[in-house]
This record gives sequence, structure tokens and C-alpha cells, in this order.
Amino acid sequence: MGKQVIFHSGALDEKDGSFIQMGNKCKICGKTSYPAVELCPFCSSENVEKVALSTVGTLFSFSVTRVPVGPYKPPIIGGYVDLPEGTRVFGQIHAKVEDVKTGMKVKVQTGVIWTEKDGTEVLGYYYVPGQAESGGSK
Amino acid sequence: MRDVYVLGIGQTIFGKHGSLTINDLGAAAALAAVKDAEISPKEFQTAYCGTLYSPPTPIQSILIRLGVARIPMCNVENACASGSSAVHLLHRDIALGACDVGIALGVESLSAFNKKYGKGLLTIEGDLQGKLALTMPSFFAMLCNRLMEQRGATIEDICYPSVKNHKAGMTNPYSQYKKEVTVEEIMASPMIADPITVLQCCPQSDGAAAIILCCGEYYKKHNKKGYRAPVKIAGSVISVSGAEDASYDPLALQAMIKGAKDACEMAGIDAQRDLDVVEMHDAFSGEELAAYEMLGLCKPGDGVALARSRAVELGGRCPVNPSGGLLSMGHPLGASGVRVVNDITRQLWGEAGANQVIGAKVGMAQMLGGVLTGIESAVVAGIQIMTK
Repeated sequence: MGKQVIFHSGALDEKDGSFIQMGNKCKICGKTSYPAVELCPFCSSENVEKVALSTVGTLFSFSVTRVPVGPYKPPIIGGYVDLPEGTRVFGQIHAKVEDVKTGMKVKVQTGVIWTEKDGTEVLGYYYVPGQAESGGSK
Repeated sequence: MRDVYVLGIGQTIFGKHGSLTINDLGAAAALAAVKDAEISPKEFQTAYCGTLYSPPTPIQSILIRLGVARIPMCNVENACASGSSAVHLLHRDIALGACDVGIALGVESLSAFNKKYGKGLLTIEGDLQGKLALTMPSFFAMLCNRLMEQRGATIEDICYPSVKNHKAGMTNPYSQYKKEVTVEEIMASPMIADPITVLQCCPQSDGAAAIILCCGEYYKKHNKKGYRAPVKIAGSVISVSGAEDASYDPLALQAMIKGAKDACEMAGIDAQRDLDVVEMHDAFSGEELAAYEMLGLCKPGDGVALARSRAVELGGRCPVNPSGGLLSMGHPLGASGVRVVNDITRQLWGEAGANQVIGAKVGMAQMLGGVLTGIESAVVAGIQIMTK
């Protein structure tokens, strides 16, 4: 297997052999932020703990880009996903354009999102329609 | 706080100037402002420059060409509000008495940038969302989709600012485009991010703009254009967004709403009642449509109705972007924040020619920039209120 890297420092943590999204939950204001940064971005508290983000969220809004962006080929579906804990996460949605609707449930997955010229695989997260993967559970 | 007056303005024509450097463009704009103000550049006591992608220390390398040195100079970057930030800092210096006269400049060469980085849609370097292909068009496409879902906007409504601003640009001698477009032409142009097509996007541009500001005493002593009504910057605000969570609605961006409200309060005006003209950041046609309500030109939720009433075009209650806006003027990023202040000044002086808003007394110049992870986007708004 070739070399693998995570697309953005701190975006994914390895746990039990798989990759998951971890955020910071603030013990003072209660907000969960992602990715985890130095202090709570809402209240500046350092009293935060790392928590796994919910894996299913609701698509707040999305757009379909029809031209290439960096390593991605069109159509590129990108959207803001709202998690039950109140966190908003941006990600790509791997689905047919006609199947994507505002307000739909989506489920996070992790995997290779692009491959560098030297063969390095870049790991990241993306979303898929929730119904197909999770039976529409919340 | 002291009153701060405009003594002179200058700019290059916006467009493709691939053979000119940042220094060529900046010096041309600075010199035009100096000629307009009819003072020696040696009079400057401080200088600011707004730019995103210039080489280091642009204001120093530009102003030495006018013989200006040994004064405090700073270069500021605040995305598309960089030029607004340069004006804001100069205004603050003079208002608080730190100096009496100075210059704020904005400059950009997207031709030079493209030579370095290549063409295409760019993301914010190193940003998490950027690495996942969030671009300016894809962000503002979501805003357009929200406008259609939440405000009942149609494709015609989304295209309206582009049609209006391209028409206005026809008679602006400084604009990049001199071409009218129809809704049909806009929608037939290549799709970038649904529903945003190429003709709903501002072009890439090179250019510079400069403004010379001074205190009241200096203005009385040095203003040689007695026929011009004194125009002052009566309110200036740089407003930054907060951390983003799922409660955020891009149709109600606090940085813009509060920035506009604070600037109006500072100037002692009411946006809906008093504003005669607005120049604003219409990088995308739908962005302008969404901004009407956030800038206070109408009640929340009424922006689409305001557009349909045609109150925001020349001859209407409060024309928005009578210059042609970024959509037709062009958008040399760092320069635009200074250019909008210059255009409002021109309107209040009554020197806007065919694009003149008759009887304009109060105007707003607005810029908005930055799309980032973890912050409500767009992340920074710069607002100036000008009165005569």
C-alpha cells in the first residue's frame, strides 16, 4: 500500500483502525466546534474535550460546481451539513446531482478523496445520502 | 472625533493591464488623486494600501515614485474589504487627530496573479473547506439557492443586478465592460455553480484607486475647488463575523447587518430614509440581491420586492451600483474598497456624468470579503457612510 496522508491536520482521528471526525465540545458554553482548535471559538474557554461528531446530519444548503477545482472534477456537489449537536460542517456530497435536496439527511464517510501525482493517497471525509446508507435514521 | 473630508480622488481604468505592474497602477492612481486634490505629495502625513496579492510593501514602492518617504505607511489585507480597511484606518487617524492629511490606496493585478498561479477557480490556501472545493462561486451559489428557497427569488430576480449593472457600466469611463446583457444571455453563458453563470460573476481585473482625506482645518486651507460641496466620511466601520454554528443564515449575515447599522448610527442617518446611493460588493449578481435587506435599504425579507420595484436603479429611490458595480466596473480586489468610496464621493460632488444620481446627498460604500472554515462567511464587511 502506498503512502497515505490526511487532507487537513486535525480533520480526522484514527480510532480502532478507522478514521472519524473529532471536534471540541466546550464544557462552559456547550458548543461543539470542528475542526478542534486551541480554545472554544465561541467563548474562548480552554475547558474543552474532544468528542466524536455525529455521523448523520441535515443538509442546510448546497451548490453544484460545474468546473474543476484543484484535484476535483465536476460536477462537484458541496454543502453545509448541520449536526444534531448544532455544529455546521462543510463537505462534498457523493451522490447524483438530481438526488440531492436541501433538508435531506446525509451520512459521513471517510476514504481517499484524491491521489497525488506521486501516488500518495489523501484521506478525507464526504457525505452520502442518509437514506441509502442508514435507512434514514437520525 | 474630528470631521474627515475628501480632498481628492483618482483611479486607473479597471480592466486588463497585463503590461503594467502593481507599482505602475498604484502610482497612476495616486498621481491622479494628487492632481485632483491640487496638493504636493510631500503634504502626506501617513499612507495606507489595501491589496491581497501584491509583492511586499507596495505602498512604499508606489509612493517613492511620487517622492513620498519617511512617513508612517502600512499595507493592509482584509480580503475584498482591503481597500475599505485602508480608507477606514486613514479616516480613524485623521478623526482621532493623529494626522491631518493622508492617502489611502488600493491596488491589484489579477493578470500578475494569474501568471503566477494559473487560471481557474481558487480556494483559500490552507483552509479546510477550501481543500474540499469551497470557492467563492460555490459559496454564493448556496446564497442564491437560499434566496430562491427562502425569499421566493426567481432566476430573473437573481440575474437582475447583473442586467442593471452592465447597463450602468456602459456610460462609466472607468469600467472594464461596455456591454449590456439580457437574462437570456446571462443564463446561456457557461454555468460555474448552479445557478451562477459566468455573466453573473464579476471579471478578473487590474487597477488601482486612491483617495486623499484630511481634517476640516486642512480642508479649509487647501481645498482649491470651491465649486465642490464639501464631502465627508461621516461613518466608517470594519465589521467581522463570529464563530459559525448551525443557527447561521447567510441571508442574515450579522457582520453586514451590524456593520451597516453601526456606520449609519455613527453618521446619524437612517439607511432606508436617508440613503440616496449605494456602491457595494456585487461580485455575484445574487449577492447584491441578498444585500439590499442586510444593508437596511428595506425591511428584512423585502429585498426581492425592492428589486422588482426598480428602486435600486438609476432614477429609483436609492440606486445601487450606478457605476456598474464590480460586475461591470471590474474587481481589482484591493482597489475596489477605495473605488466605491471614490464613486460615492463623485456622486455627492455631482461629477458622475451620465451615471449621476440627481441630488445625491448621502451615500454608502460597502465591501465584503472572505469565506473561511469556522466563521460565518463572508467574514469581513467594510462600510463607509458619506454625506455633504
